[in-house]
Amino acid sequence: MAEYTKPIPSPDPVSQPFWDGAKEGKLMLPRCDDCNRVHWYPRVICPFCHSMNIEWVEATGKGTIHTFAVQHNKGLVARGWGDEVPYVSAYIDLAEGDRMLTVLKGVDPNDPESIEIGGAVQIEFEEASEDVHIPFWRPV
Amino acid sequence: MPGEASMSAAIIGAAEANDIGYPQTPKSSLTLHIEAINNVCEMTGIPIRAIDGIFSAGWSPQIAEYLGLHPKYIDTTAVGGCSFEMHVHHALAAIHAGVIDVALVTHGEMGFSQRFTGGKGTGRPFGGGDPWDPGTQHTSAYGLGGAPTSYSHALNRHMARYGTTQEDFAEIAVVTREWATLNPRAVMYRKAGEGDLPPLEKGEWGGGKRGHTFGGPITVDTVMNSRPISWPIKLLDVCLVTDHGGAVLITGPELAKTSKTPPVWIAGAGESISHWNMLEMGEFTKTSASRSAAAAYKMAGMGPEDMEMAMIYDSFTVTAGITAEMLGLAPAGEGFTLWKDRHAAPGGRLPINTNGGGLSFNHSGMYGMQLLVEAYRQLSGTAEDGGFSGDPGKQTSARSCVVNGTGGSLSTTGTLVLVSDD
Repeated sequence: MAEYTKPIPSPDPVSQPFWDGAKEGKLMLPRCDDCNRVHWYPRVICPFCHSMNIEWVEATGKGTIHTFAVQHNKGLVARGWGDEVPYVSAYIDLAEGDRMLTVLKGVDPNDPESIEIGGAVQIEFEEASEDVHIPFWRPV
Repeated sequence: MPGEASMSAAIIGAAEANDIGYPQTPKSSLTLHIEAINNVCEMTGIPIRAIDGIFSAGWSPQIAEYLGLHPKYIDTTAVGGCSFEMHVHHALAAIHAGVIDVALVTHGEMGFSQRFTGGKGTGRPFGGGDPWDPGTQHTSAYGLGGAPTSYSHALNRHMARYGTTQEDFAEIAVVTREWATLNPRAVMYRKAGEGDLPPLEKGEWGGGKRGHTFGGPITVDTVMNSRPISWPIKLLDVCLVTDHGGAVLITGPELAKTSKTPPVWIAGAGESISHWNMLEMGEFTKTSASRSAAAAYKMAGMGPEDMEMAMIYDSFTVTAGITAEMLGLAPAGEGFTLWKDRHAAPGGRLPINTNGGGLSFNHSGMYGMQLLVEAYRQLSGTAEDGGFSGDPGKQTSARSCVVNGTGGSLSTTGTLVLVSDD
């Protein structure tokens, strides 16, 4: 595998089930056992009803584009990403609820008008290291 | 009916550091603080030793130690550029409660000069955020860094939701620049090399009276043709990065009478937060300014229709446009029309950002102090004779002003309703 030169997240005890799922190509999300709502990012307490009964469920990996932007400026983005400008960052509304930040694959950063807010996207994972596979999304 | 704390304290003076904008020689953030503090105390005649409450965005212990003060109230609220509006809120409460008599709100930030010192002197620790912090852990992989990389998502969502355009938001930059051409302290005051101004030397940044390569009036085309930073945000949708120091003193009515400069009363104050990391923003076309403004208007017993000018944090054109909507100055989706229809412009019915804004006057990273200084200058009449700096800049006869700071990634807001004396 070519060396992954962009930032690699550091899993913590709270988020470990998400990263374990990512290694198997599954989107695992935390869901409140009391109010049944899914939240993101992972917490030890439900941000909606403040129950501490949180369970992990496998999600569909489907979502829609809430909004996006095209990153043009090398100096403003993190190490490694500077070599990839322009690229498209986006917030994804998950089919199960709540929202993730991502970078969109399979879109043309030089034609932002061709990218549709509300358009359907599907998750995929990129192996950044043995332990960390990073979620990205792609229009379907 | 106004709230109990309304008008129980006033800003009795506001001053800046000796060098702001693009100074020739770097000064540390701490020095910028101290210059401004010394200047505001000279301006008001209130001695530094009388300060018994210190409010700053993270600096209060250092400021107290440096000045040899032992304050009774120490507030280091640091939640982005709106921190200073929150400090005024907190100082009002502390004075109203009888805990302190003289509150200092202070700011110093070498946003420009740090590029020549490798970050030394900023007061910030070296190194990044905690990798386990959830906001960091679940966003760092995607490389977003500087503020423009986030705010662009809000602008795109606003355009999708309301059918607004990049040109609409460019109008905000154009009018704000027009104000800057009236303010000799503004970085973008004049264009270098034009008229009686000599061209800048190689490596010289200019700014203010010396002119700036890109200073002077601009048009919507200038904004639209500026280089893309984070589409749909372009260079001229983005604030400056400068040095600034500023300080204001706040007291109750008795001490206000002893000041050499007139009081500007704090009629209302409020603050709120919608999220910290933009990942948690929820609705991308709204900010917590609707809540912080509701609290401030309620305390003041006034509403948006009573405001004769506005100082609105403009880190980006989108920040100003959305915030005008949140403050009730324009309907949802139509904030930009205040600028496009020239209500916000010189001579308009509701002057906004009369100093030239973060876009064209000065923005050191956190801009909330600059808002306070300008609101004080206009409402106190001290801009008429040049106030502390000696540069006149009376732009309006407004007697009331809504001031709104926005911090983080459209995350946090502090709103003040300020009114002139009598």
